[in-house]
Amino acid sequence: MASDLFIVIVGCGRLGSHLANQLSRAGHGAVVIDLAEKAFANLSAEYSGFSVEGDATELAVLQQAKVGKADIVIATTRDDNVNLMVAQVARAEFHVPRVLARVFEPRRKPIYRRLGIETVCPTSVAAELFLESIAAPRSLENRP
Amino acid sequence: MEAPERGKPVLIVDDEKNIRLTLSQALEALALDIDTAVNGEEALAKLKEKPARLVLLDLKMPGMDGMEVLRRIRKSRSPARVIIITAHGTIESAVEAMKLGAVDFIQKPFAPKEIRAMVTKVLDREALAAENACGYEEHIELAKKSIGQQEFGAAAKRVRQAIAADATKPEAFNLLGVLMEMDGNKLEAQKDYRAALALDPTYKPAQENLGRTTGLTSGGQMSMGGTVNKPCRKE
Amino acid sequence: MRVLIVGGSKAVYFLCRTFLAKGHYVTVINRDPGECVRMARRLKVTVIQGDGSDPTILEEAGAHGADAVLAVTPNDQDNLAICQLASMLFDVPRAVAMVHDPDNERVFQKLGVAAFSTTRTIASMIEQRTALDEITNLIPVGEGKVNITEIRLQPDSPVVGKTLRELSLPGDSLIAVVMRGGEAIVPRGDTGLRAGDQIVLITLPANHGPVLKAITGETI
Repeated sequence: MASDLFIVIVGCGRLGSHLANQLSRAGHGAVVIDLAEKAFANLSAEYSGFSVEGDATELAVLQQAKVGKADIVIATTRDDNVNLMVAQVARAEFHVPRVLARVFEPRRKPIYRRLGIETVCPTSVAAELFLESIAAPRSLENRP
Repeated sequence: MEAPERGKPVLIVDDEKNIRLTLSQALEALALDIDTAVNGEEALAKLKEKPARLVLLDLKMPGMDGMEVLRRIRKSRSPARVIIITAHGTIESAVEAMKLGAVDFIQKPFAPKEIRAMVTKVLDREALAAENACGYEEHIELAKKSIGQQEFGAAAKRVRQAIAADATKPEAFNLLGVLMEMDGNKLEAQKDYRAALALDPTYKPAQENLGRTTGLTSGGQMSMGGTVNKPCRKE
Repeated sequence: MRVLIVGGSKAVYFLCRTFLAKGHYVTVINRDPGECVRMARRLKVTVIQGDGSDPTILEEAGAHGADAVLAVTPNDQDNLAICQLASMLFDVPRAVAMVHDPDNERVFQKLGVAAFSTTRTIASMIEQRTALDEITNLIPVGEGKVNITEIRLQPDSPVVGKTLRELSLPGDSLIAVVMRGGEAIVPRGDTGLRAGDQIVLITLPANHGPVLKAITGETI
């Protein structure tokens, strides 16, 4: 992983805060955006990035978080529609080179794909892992 | 590539650990001699022991606030240049800071690239010589160098040279306005702020300054903005 | 036309009523069961209860056969998703989203979704009206890129007594019609303006303020 990227993470829940902690520990610049101040309590004491309290569907909030300078934007809120909108705005308005989004509803994936947004669908990923483990009997715990 | 900043002592002053970390990390690549302080008192003590070329100073700190630290740094006759770190939404107390020779501001949050570019620019500025000035960017940098040395008349002259080189930049007019205001020339300052807004009606620092001087907005502080531009190189 | 409206509240109710009166077929998608029941009771519309950004619900609501989709939920991100799904998955020819953050109007257009901002409309109504009976913003046309405004010239207006040629209005503006004494005049360079004239003014949003100021003499 190239060092010293500037990464904006939208949503400071379990996934967002975990990513923020890891990425900042790896030496990258990070900004986390969340609607609720108390979500930032999920960040570790060693987190060396910034946090912005606000609604990421507001352009002004994205500007405040300096999304225009980001190398990567990761949308991890619990709302697929917010993630989809943030990802698109980051690309079209701020020309962020890479945008990643979590999407819960598998049926929405084709749309994301058509819009050029990389996605991780926890439902699909979990399903694949479960099915793999059943097909080739091997404990999930032994996954590489 | 030669790194002229190599080894220069830099002091980071911020009460928040994550800002100290983020700045240290971001500036690692520049091979500077970096030290940190958690508050004003520690900063001043460290500067006494070991003079720094550059201080990165957070404006809002509990206890001694950034402006007071800046005041004391100037009083101690330290030649250190200061970059002021501000939070989003605060109107920078630019006139006070400028009187104390600080003209560079960076607003949180910032990308590692941004702070590196600004630190490089400020350190390079000291090497700029008037004879070599070739265009808008360098004239503005020289103006800021004059401000750093608290030579405000020379600074205004340089800003005018910058405008002569390129009359389309709102930053120059806004900067001239602040200098006029410092000189007690409010009407001239307002003309300059208006000129900045004529070039770009969305240029916030000039909006804030005009609003403040015409009494149409509350708050008593001047705004400078803080953009990072690349200096031009003579062919 | 078959119109699909996603959202709730009074605004939607009246939108439905308007479309129905024009003879269109209307289907409404709304998340709130109570709202759905109320709407179904009062209007001749098909009501589907559910999330309009869920492809299954859109399908159930007949998005495939819809001529237009109007997304008027309280959330910009939902309205964006609804319109994009409608046009990309269901080939609905016209999808329009309401936006609350006025910055999003422009951004949505960039993403290929027609959008309108209630915030901008309301703000401009308040800022640009000096006296309510003097100025009326008539119709937004050209997807908000053109303003048509009707102004009654007061005696102290700076343009009274001048001909059109003598006016120095900012560029990109046009006085299209002058109403005087019940007559409509399409003005020419030598047409003079008088107090009491009602002029129909065409401007672009960028210069709307300055042009209005030049005509009414009011500082906006």
